[in-house]
Amino acid sequence: MAIAKAERLMNLALCLLGTRRPLSKRELRESIEAYLEAGSDDSFNRMFERDKDDLRELGLVIETVENLDGDTGYLARRDSNRLPPITLDAEEAAALGLAAKVWQQARLAGAASGALQKLRAAGLPEDVDPYGAHGALEPRIPVHEAAFEPLMLACRDRRPVVFDYRKANAAQPESRHVEPWALECWRGHWYLAGWDRDRGAERVFRLSRITGKVRSRGGRFTVPVPDVVTVRETVASWAGETADRSARIRLRSDAGYPLRAKATAVRELGDGWDELEIPYGHGLDAWLVEFGPDVVVLEPAELRADVVDRLRAVAKG
Amino acid sequence: MAGKPVRPVNAIDQTRRMLSLVTYLRERPGARIEDVARAFGITEDELVSDLDVLPMCGTSFRGGDLLDIDTDGERIWWHNPAALGAEAAEPLRLAADEATALLVAARAVATLPGLRESDRQALLRATAKVETAAGEAAGASARLSVTFESEGGVFADVDRAIAERRRLWIRYYSPARDEVTEREIDPIRLVSVGHTYVEAWCRRSEARRTFRLDRVAEIKILDEPSAPPEVELRDLSEALVQPAAEDPEVVVEVAPGGRWVAEYYPHDSADELPDGGLRITLRTPDPASLRRLALRLGRDGRIVEPSELSESARQAAREALAAYHGAEAAG
Repeated sequence: MAIAKAERLMNLALCLLGTRRPLSKRELRESIEAYLEAGSDDSFNRMFERDKDDLRELGLVIETVENLDGDTGYLARRDSNRLPPITLDAEEAAALGLAAKVWQQARLAGAASGALQKLRAAGLPEDVDPYGAHGALEPRIPVHEAAFEPLMLACRDRRPVVFDYRKANAAQPESRHVEPWALECWRGHWYLAGWDRDRGAERVFRLSRITGKVRSRGGRFTVPVPDVVTVRETVASWAGETADRSARIRLRSDAGYPLRAKATAVRELGDGWDELEIPYGHGLDAWLVEFGPDVVVLEPAELRADVVDRLRAVAKG
Repeated sequence: MAGKPVRPVNAIDQTRRMLSLVTYLRERPGARIEDVARAFGITEDELVSDLDVLPMCGTSFRGGDLLDIDTDGERIWWHNPAALGAEAAEPLRLAADEATALLVAARAVATLPGLRESDRQALLRATAKVETAAGEAAGASARLSVTFESEGGVFADVDRAIAERRRLWIRYYSPARDEVTEREIDPIRLVSVGHTYVEAWCRRSEARRTFRLDRVAEIKILDEPSAPPEVELRDLSEALVQPAAEDPEVVVEVAPGGRWVAEYYPHDSADELPDGGLRITLRTPDPASLRRLALRLGRDGRIVEPSELSESARQAAREALAAYHGAEAAG
């Protein structure tokens, strides 16, 4: 039976951590059973390279040292791999315990548990979840978009990417070359901010509109990454949250609670209708149409025309 | 308690865990399986499978100094802790992904409006300490961020009601019916997935319901004790509203401008149309609630089935238009 990968990785990690002098590939091969069984030099070499990469993903700092006889040696020095002292009280431990459970994306969920386990090994107190007594608070970070993981890695490593992207109204996706800066999740959806090489400008992309694979491009970023990347403000303006004008509507008295919650002024008209003053930003027309005959737009004329236009499209069906 | 989701064995995660495990076990001879599994956030089965691998590991296969770790099913014994030098068993620094995962999550939870202030402070203190300990590895965590939305006042009341096991009275807005109704609910838990929801037993419908906090128009904590029936907590990761197989089917065809429907509505299928649009099939217990969607779509899409639904949208649009003509004549 083939030796499990975890066993092989664990042995390599312990060998590299346990040695004070660099170990050559040959020594490692002789020390680790899975490598002895690897068969050809080629398959051993491939396995060894992959394993080193995997251990580096786990945070292990592996040094490569040229020996006097020209051989390459490997070791994981204690001082570069030791967790600095960290002392957390029970409340802080509980807070981290809650935080470690929120990721619903496999890679980050694994990484968060791994972080907590390292802290536990370093003496993090066993937590009493403050909400655990009644198990009553469950924050969850949803990740449904396939583009998330490759983009997260590209942001982390500052690697340019290319992907097909379908804009909100576009019939066909278009290929976009992007220097990815940051990912942000808002209202359960993920967005990417970055430098759009095709447009020569900063852009925000919604991950659910990326079609097909995210591919890495060679080379480096050509534009400096700004200190502060704002995603939410851009998305909020798409969603019409940044209203710069106001509109006046009539609303049936028993209807449209969310419109009332946003209203800056409400006046009862007395005939089963109220008059409301509400913020007017992008997307208000589509929202008002949802209320059908319970809303009548009074002004501005432009909004009124947009709403009538939309209603006509539905009436024609 | 909800059962832990069954995780596939992932060699990377298991290696990471075993490296911490040797550090942890070295300090705790005779540690109980149950306690270790809890401390590591894993099932006892996962821990036992780690304990099967560890005796195959060591600093040198040939040298015979494999870790002599075994268990009697209750406690874990390590017979040759010297096989791993004290140095090789020190806790390891955090990897970039580990620091990112923990820090981004902790910062996100700290933004939850309504969170108890003592918990927010604990999160912020812990975040600062982890940042310091992670050093450079913490750098990339600024490239990911998450905001939870919540109504702070409502959140605090629900949280208090759950802690004190008291019933709540709410006025709740239902967008499907565009109406505000009064209900008494026995809260079970708060769930944040972008928006924040309270899952509760609704005394009016005698059923479990989820209420979005920003749709709670008014809330009061009642003196009556809360008594939700014992219900198995669902995994809410996929969708908060899970349509049932017997719910009526609705078919919507959208132009490219209406593709967002597939992003917002859980659906059975979404097939590409030649014009770049989609034909979306979804289920809902209450198709009439989708009249709003039909109206909103305008020329970007239409309800194909059921026909009563598209007719009711047309009817509503005609009525609305009539009001405009009326207002025009009057004005």
